Amino acid sequence: MLIEQLINGITLGSIYAIVALGFTLVFGVLGIINMAHGEIFMFGAFIGVVVTASFQGPLWLAFLAAIAVTAVMGYLLERFALRPLRSKQGVSHLAPLISTIGVSIFLENLSHHLFGAGNHPFRASFAEISFQIGSITVYLVQIVIFVISILLMYSLSFWLGKTKAGKALRATAENLETASLLGVDVKRTITMTVIIASAMGGIAGILVGMAFNSVTPQMGLSIGLKGLAIIILGGMGNVKGAMVGGLILGLAETFIVVYGDSGYKDAIAFAAIIIILLIRPQGLFGQKISA
Amino acid sequence: MLAELINPYYLQVASFVLINIILGISIYITLSTGQLSLASAGFMGIGAYTSALLTLNFDLPIIVGVLAGTLMAGLFGVIIGIPTLRLKGVYLAIVTLGFGEVIRVIFVNWESLTKGAVGLSGIPHMGREILKTLKGFGFDPQVLGLQNNQFIFMTIFLLLLFITIGIIQFFRRQNSSRVGRAFAAIKLDEQAAESMGINITYYKVLAFAQGALVAGFAGTLFAHVLAYISPADFAYHRAVEILIFAVFGGSEVIWGPVFGALFLTVMPEVLRFISEYRYMIYGLVIIIMMAVRPQGLIDVNIINWIKTKVGKRGQKHGTSNTKNL
Repeated sequence: MLIEQLINGITLGSIYAIVALGFTLVFGVLGIINMAHGEIFMFGAFIGVVVTASFQGPLWLAFLAAIAVTAVMGYLLERFALRPLRSKQGVSHLAPLISTIGVSIFLENLSHHLFGAGNHPFRASFAEISFQIGSITVYLVQIVIFVISILLMYSLSFWLGKTKAGKALRATAENLETASLLGVDVKRTITMTVIIASAMGGIAGILVGMAFNSVTPQMGLSIGLKGLAIIILGGMGNVKGAMVGGLILGLAETFIVVYGDSGYKDAIAFAAIIIILLIRPQGLFGQKISA
Repeated sequence: MLAELINPYYLQVASFVLINIILGISIYITLSTGQLSLASAGFMGIGAYTSALLTLNFDLPIIVGVLAGTLMAGLFGVIIGIPTLRLKGVYLAIVTLGFGEVIRVIFVNWESLTKGAVGLSGIPHMGREILKTLKGFGFDPQVLGLQNNQFIFMTIFLLLLFITIGIIQFFRRQNSSRVGRAFAAIKLDEQAAESMGINITYYKVLAFAQGALVAGFAGTLFAHVLAYISPADFAYHRAVEILIFAVFGGSEVIWGPVFGALFLTVMPEVLRFISEYRYMIYGLVIIIMMAVRPQGLIDVNIINWIKTKVGKRGQKHGTSNTKNL
């Protein structure tokens, strides 16, 4: 029982971690909280539903389609909601936040019109397959989700740490102007960051669809806000913090459903950010910023 | 004659315009110190639920409920404000957003008190209560040639109009007072303001608490005008709606959110087909406004331009209208 819950928690947590990585990448490079990330993620999930349910397509095609669509959305987001603000002088630092809130509201209601307000089931062909190890039941879906999450996190870390583009991204995150002086194409790096973050959101969307077997237009908001809570928990712009924070939140939510009141499951994330911001504003893994 | 002019539906819409104006002012006050708070919807919910529960369960008069709800929201404003004001900019926005969500989750889950997601119904209706009281004194709306229904909506509208004008007037006067200048200084540059001897923590908490009070007050009015509330009324969408009043109308002068609330509440009513796409249009409006005119439609220049137009007419009488922004 305990181990089964632990597995549930880790599965949920690894999805949260991927959502949070999308937030943390954009924040790390641009210093912007992308409120539209949750909705892009939700669109990824819907593309998954459309491909697997309406067109009876295989799962890998759903992943490819979701990545493609969310990547385009990421580009559009950067081009129309973020870039116009960057070139302007004297714009309040709150402007990009408000602008992405606008994008999120727009996308949520667009999906209402496109897909309807109801609940869409997400049928993975192997949803019912499970293994018995001793007295523990493990579903194949959980293993798939976990493996994909780990692969994604590992390749992101490798890409950030070892490749030239990843180094350019880190340099831009460190200091935009200096990176630009040193010959990094800052504009391209920023666009690429938003696109990659959005595509990761799309993948996470399909994983959530598989895990909960349901996709709704509102899920963007609820999971998006949790992703936000996680990056504050782990430290803004910190990749390792996003991963660990996601796991912590996933486990905490699973265990409150088992041992506490399931109604308050959604409040944990916010209670956690309010507390963490008061006690340790830089997050668990963040470094102290001198004011 | 009067009876034909008074249409309960228009009055209802006008009443919601006024409540939204008060909500717009609540976000304007906190923005006037340069802080973005998305907790207005949460404070509104606290006010609405407090007042509704007091009047429903203890048969208290509405006015007591309104006062208690307003003060409760203000109290929460101080409690939340003091610790969160250590945070700046986006952090504050997220914490206040999180606060709103926590409030909503509590409303949904505390079923023994709040009836959960179903919401509270049968809340004493402000207009009807006034009519009942007046009838107790032997007054009959027929004297004015009005039906009961018309009279109810008209009293609500006039009462709200009176309250709204009072609130606008209060904050206009505050803006040209010591407090208002301190707010403006903090908005421009916190460090500079502090070195000039302004107690920034005090003024920031003051602005935050004022915003909470006003939002809570709007919430109590909302509860007693609609007679029905549910947690969904005070969710993320409400917070965004209040934000867009200030973003669209402008947050530099108090007339910005007033105009924003007026325009954006009336527009979906006038153009019915827009109503369905309302939030999509809201989203686009936010994006376009941020890119093209981040200070909102109404800013200081517009106000000055209107003043010079009005001022030219006034000069004949030797008066000047340049005081009191």
